[in-house]
Amino acid sequence: MKPLLRSFGIFMYQITRDNMLWAVCIAPLLVAVFFRWGIPHLETLLCVHFQQQTVLSEYYLLFDLFLSLITPYLFCFAAAMVMLTEYDENITSYMAITPIGKKGYVLSRLLLPAVISFFASMLLMHFFTLTVWPLWVVTITCLLTSLLSVVIALLIFTFSHNRVEGMAVAKLSGLVMLGLPVPFFLSSGLQYLFSPLPSFWIAKFSVERDILFLLPAILFSLLWVRLLYRKFEQKLVQ
Amino acid sequence: MISVKNLQFSYTRQPFIENMSFEVKDGEIFGFLGPSGAGKSTLQKILTGLLRNYAGSVIVSDAEVKRHDNSFYENIGVDFEFPSLYEKLTARENLKFFSSLYKKQTDIDFLLERVGLLHEANKKVAEYSKGMKSRVNFIKALLHDPILLFLDEPTSGLDPSNAGRIKEMILQEKAKGKTIILTTHNMYDATELCDRVAFIVDGKLRALDTPRNLIMSRGASKVRYTYSQNGREEGREIPLNQTGEDSLLQSLLRENRLLSIHSSEPTLNDIFVEITGRRLL
Repeated sequence: MKPLLRSFGIFMYQITRDNMLWAVCIAPLLVAVFFRWGIPHLETLLCVHFQQQTVLSEYYLLFDLFLSLITPYLFCFAAAMVMLTEYDENITSYMAITPIGKKGYVLSRLLLPAVISFFASMLLMHFFTLTVWPLWVVTITCLLTSLLSVVIALLIFTFSHNRVEGMAVAKLSGLVMLGLPVPFFLSSGLQYLFSPLPSFWIAKFSVERDILFLLPAILFSLLWVRLLYRKFEQKLVQ
Repeated sequence: MISVKNLQFSYTRQPFIENMSFEVKDGEIFGFLGPSGAGKSTLQKILTGLLRNYAGSVIVSDAEVKRHDNSFYENIGVDFEFPSLYEKLTARENLKFFSSLYKKQTDIDFLLERVGLLHEANKKVAEYSKGMKSRVNFIKALLHDPILLFLDEPTSGLDPSNAGRIKEMILQEKAKGKTIILTTHNMYDATELCDRVAFIVDGKLRALDTPRNLIMSRGASKVRYTYSQNGREEGREIPLNQTGEDSLLQSLLRENRLLSIHSSEPTLNDIFVEITGRRLL
């Protein structure tokens, strides 16, 4: 346990010493404040401008969904950046031959950030949502978005050689979030073209509030993890 | 300490390490000698448990490597070829962090002093030269006083004085009873430090013996001398064991006409080339 905590400690230390990563970790709070107070204000302005009853309010749930994903996404992005720095400095494989071990390293760089991001996301959802969310729906949604963010961290780390490439892959990995707006804009069967994206099922679950959508959301997330993990593991010991 | 039997490993479908078997005794310095890409570092990764999808048997510290838990790493120290240090931290911060991962700890300042870096310890590693990083990397492997050391090119990038200092420390570790696996393509280091060396080429073990036996088993030492003859410098080379029968040498010695005389033994590199048909570098 001690090596695992030390490993997580040095991970956090690196984030606090890196201005960009520090900003990345603070960003969800700024986004939450903007969503909670900026969007309704914008809605008022847009309604006046377009002389409509509603413009954005029909999509408040979508904003909430983005809010639930943004914290795990950015936390895991920061984790991937730290891992890429460590990979660049040959520390990744060195950690695997210390009492931390390969599993300990994965836990401290992927699982612990995902767990923290789950609680941070829950907290932000409690204070900053635009719509009313029952606790059980928030909990499950945040669990699913945290799992999805692990997929994103795996993607960034596995397909990049350094931080610059990592940032490029991070932009591309934003496509994984593309499933979130689908149920809001596509009501026909066409929407199921986005089935391989776990974000699509997360959105379906949150919109329909039906536990049935939980299963494909978990299954597709785990499938992505499984597909990426082998390559990730190979890279860890290179 | 280490027993490897019929080891096979591959990164792809093509076999890379094939049917390798050898043993390393307690307290021995055992060298892996081979050119780049021969499989030395892969072998080290297997022995340290980094690569576990091998076939055959690899027993380190009385247990199969692939079944070791993380407590195994309390007793081994590894010095990778390339420094594995946090560049934004100072050398002392790096050593403190890595030391904190182990139950057993040693005096960091003492180690820093031994490699001549005590006064530079509070500098960020990013500001260090290649040689300084190599030295910090080396003592990082000694932080928890391990009984088994894996050293991959420990003198690479060091000036002769610091390389000598590191070699002295390696011999001191051996004197304490540590077992040391030295991976190198530096034949001088291998000859100087190793009790036994294994030649590795293309994932295969091509020879295994003490450096002296390997050298002596192939060709005798020679004596080369030069002398003055009719105002011109002439030279001659004879086997060391035939100097007593060389009448020219005898007469040159008597007449004080020798200009130079040298003995030359084949080096480990010569033996390596002869056995494997490949060069070390």
